[in-house]
Order: sequence, then C-alpha cells, then structure tokens
Amino acid sequence: MATKSLVKIKPKTYKVGDVVEVSLMVMHPMETGLRKDKETGNLIPAHYINDVKFSFNGTPFTTIKSWESLSTNPVYTVSYKVSGEGEIKVAFTDTKGDANENGTKIKPKA
Amino acid sequence: MQRRSFLKGIMMTGAAAAVVSPSLAFSAEAPKGPNAMDLDTAIKAITGGKSVSASAKVQLKAPEIAENGAVVPVSVTVDSPMSAEDHVKAIHIFATKNSNVRCADVMLTPANGKASFSTRVKLGTSQDVMALVVTSKGEFLSAAQNVKVTIGGCG
Repeated sequence: MATKSLVKIKPKTYKVGDVVEVSLMVMHPMETGLRKDKETGNLIPAHYINDVKFSFNGTPFTTIKSWESLSTNPVYTVSYKVSGEGEIKVAFTDTKGDANENGTKIKPKA
Repeated sequence: MQRRSFLKGIMMTGAAAAVVSPSLAFSAEAPKGPNAMDLDTAIKAITGGKSVSASAKVQLKAPEIAENGAVVPVSVTVDSPMSAEDHVKAIHIFATKNSNVRCADVMLTPANGKASFSTRVKLGTSQDVMALVVTSKGEFLSAAQNVKVTIGGCG
C-alpha cells in the first residue's frame, strides 16, 4: 500500500552552502493503540511511522525514530546544508512494515 | 422516598457519564500502551545515568496554550556550529505526561548544517514538552516548556 507523502524544500531558491529546510509530510493515521473503536468497543491496534531516513545522493544525513505520540499526518522538518546538485531521498517505514520512499531534486542556483 | 432517591441516583450517574467525556473516562483507567515508558526511564536509556543540564543553547518553541492537543507544533533549534568536531548528535523530544513519553529521536550529522527539528505532537493533558540534546562532546543539554491543553489529543 502506497502511502501519500510529500517532500518539500524551503526556501525555493538557494545557493551552494545555504541551509535549507527539508520537510516530509505523510498522510498517516498514527494510531496510538489506546483509542477504542466506537462500534465494537475494541482497541484499535497501534499503527505509526517508526523510522524515517533522509539521504542525499545515497548518503544518509538524518535518521529519525518516531513513536505514536506524533500527530496524525505527521511532518518532519530538518535542516540541510546544500553541497551541490543531487537528490534528496526520504525513506519511511511504519509499524506494519509498509516501506515507502519519496524524494526531491536539489538544484542550487549559481 | 426510596423511589425518589433512586431516580436521583440514576440522574446523577447519567449526568456524570455525559459530562465525563470519553477522553476523561479513559485517563481515569490510566491506559498503558505497549510502548508505555516514563520520563526517568526514557532519559536514563539515553544518558546512561549521566547528569542533564538545562541550557539556553537549546531553544524549544511550542505554544503556551494549545486548543487542540492532537496537533501541537513543536520545534527545537540548537545553537551549534555543526562541524565535524562539535555538532549535535541527537535531539530527543519528550511529552512528559503521555503514556509513552518518547515522541521522536532525531539523529543528526554535520551535513545538516544547522541543528533543528520540528514536528507536531499529540498531548493527552497539559504538560511539559521537553527536548534533550546530545552533543558530540558528550554533553546532555535540555530545555522544556509547559503547554496548556484545552482538549486532550489521546483518546
């Protein structure tokens, strides 16, 4: 099952050496495992993203372990110092083992 | 008289059940998820028993009053040169009164350029949000801010 996600860079124009913000937004329920199903009264099992990896041209620069306390449709924003042209890839996995990957291209302006 | 008190009793419990919303009734049961962990244990697992000092270098931004506990924006910035010798290795975010206090463990490298992380967390009740920062020199720095929650986000 593919999960909807988006990788964004802020600001839109940048040079080599600038620090930009890279955000990953995911459409994910992030179930805590404490909520009850209103109809059946059973607990809804926990289901959340537990592993996020940011990498640039194959070299990882940030890894995040997250827990169920993050909001539904979570956002992860980290900084990145632009070193040149390439591609940022973000891989994330949830507790059901659903692995996804998304990315965006880095094109610094001269 | 018996009948009257009986009816009164029913009305009282009915009213109480209506007022005590599902989330409150839930907190009374003290739910423990599979990952439940308290703050001391979580901090000890990271520091290994070493002391943590509050530092002005760590800036934690969170709203003082959150109307909706399900979506509370939190951002952490650490004043650090982020060079190979002196950088922030990790930022941990804790919600001190959630059943599992851990929110996110962020492992950074010098390639980040700036030690920052922002996300949105769920808070069950009014509580402190805490950031624990581990530097490459082996220091443990922290910052905390109280967030008042009007409607809890775990239920």
